[in-house]
Amino acid sequence: MADTQTSINIPQILAVAIVGFFAIRWFLNKPVSDSPTAPTSSSRRGGRAVDINKINQVTAMFPQLDRRTIAWDLQRNGGSVPATTERVLSGRALETPPPSFQPNIPSAATEAGSSTGAAKRSSPSQPDLITRYNLQGRIGGKGKEAVPSVEQEQEAKKSAWSADKAARAENLKRRREEMILAARRKMEAQEGQA
Amino acid sequence: MNSVASKRLYQEYKHLTTDPPEGITAGPVSEDDLFVWEAIIAGPEGSPYEGGVFPAELKFPKDYPLMPPTMKFLCDLWHPNVYTNGNVCISILHAPGEDPNHYEQASERWSPIQSVEKILISVMSMIAEPNDESPANVDAARMWRERRPEFEKRVKADVRKSLGL
Repeated sequence: MADTQTSINIPQILAVAIVGFFAIRWFLNKPVSDSPTAPTSSSRRGGRAVDINKINQVTAMFPQLDRRTIAWDLQRNGGSVPATTERVLSGRALETPPPSFQPNIPSAATEAGSSTGAAKRSSPSQPDLITRYNLQGRIGGKGKEAVPSVEQEQEAKKSAWSADKAARAENLKRRREEMILAARRKMEAQEGQA
Repeated sequence: MNSVASKRLYQEYKHLTTDPPEGITAGPVSEDDLFVWEAIIAGPEGSPYEGGVFPAELKFPKDYPLMPPTMKFLCDLWHPNVYTNGNVCISILHAPGEDPNHYEQASERWSPIQSVEKILISVMSMIAEPNDESPANVDAARMWRERRPEFEKRVKADVRKSLGL
């Protein structure tokens, strides 16, 4: 009795293993082997491209769903937003996409400025402030630059708001430049002491 | 001067000009477009940024003051809460309402009772005291946390360079 049971079980286990292996293989390869058989679906390019607007539509309705899962369901039903919506609303969970399904969809999270997404964007080094505000002509000779006294600054502050638009712009520019030049003078003086 | 946003920005510009906070200069790049400002913030005293001045661009949405502006530094600013492209990450610049991640109180975020002046003052204090919890520049945050002397040295070198010295 014991002998017959084991002799039946081992082939069974082997059969299950083999069938399982092929099932997984078939499942993983499906999106790739699938596309040539359904070339009529215009929304597919290499079985990958899913309209981002459609994904966004579904995401707007069901923000809790994974965008990749939505893309997978849309691809499988031929890009029909109503069909995907219907499926979610009817309580049938969307299928988990296979790992090989990697659509190129910008995730909403990175758009919102997640630290990893934006940090990778590197910017070229910025020019220094003197170059930026064209102040080269005002830093050459030491002592030539008239340093406004405290009283003068107070005076300037009081009469800061001019009725004339051009005068206001000029005033803002002057304050900005003065701030930069003052910082530079201070830094120079500090280094002179050290 | 036709919209609410323009009127409000004009008023704020006037206020910031007649009564500017210490170490802050701000105003529209051109009065023809009140929705783009340039601000200069002085490095806070007692921080490694002391002595430096940092220009930044503020861009206001058309529905300001309902929605906050964005702020971007126009210079290299090595700071845990400033992205390497210059964008500033601070709660006062985040759209009103509750934080979906529950990091911030609604009161810390943008609301129409805030102002450009408050933003700039908040950014100034952020420069002095980085918020370690939500770093925008992960490398800077790590250096700030683990190798403070190196961090300060780098910031001071950047400040010096930015002044053309």
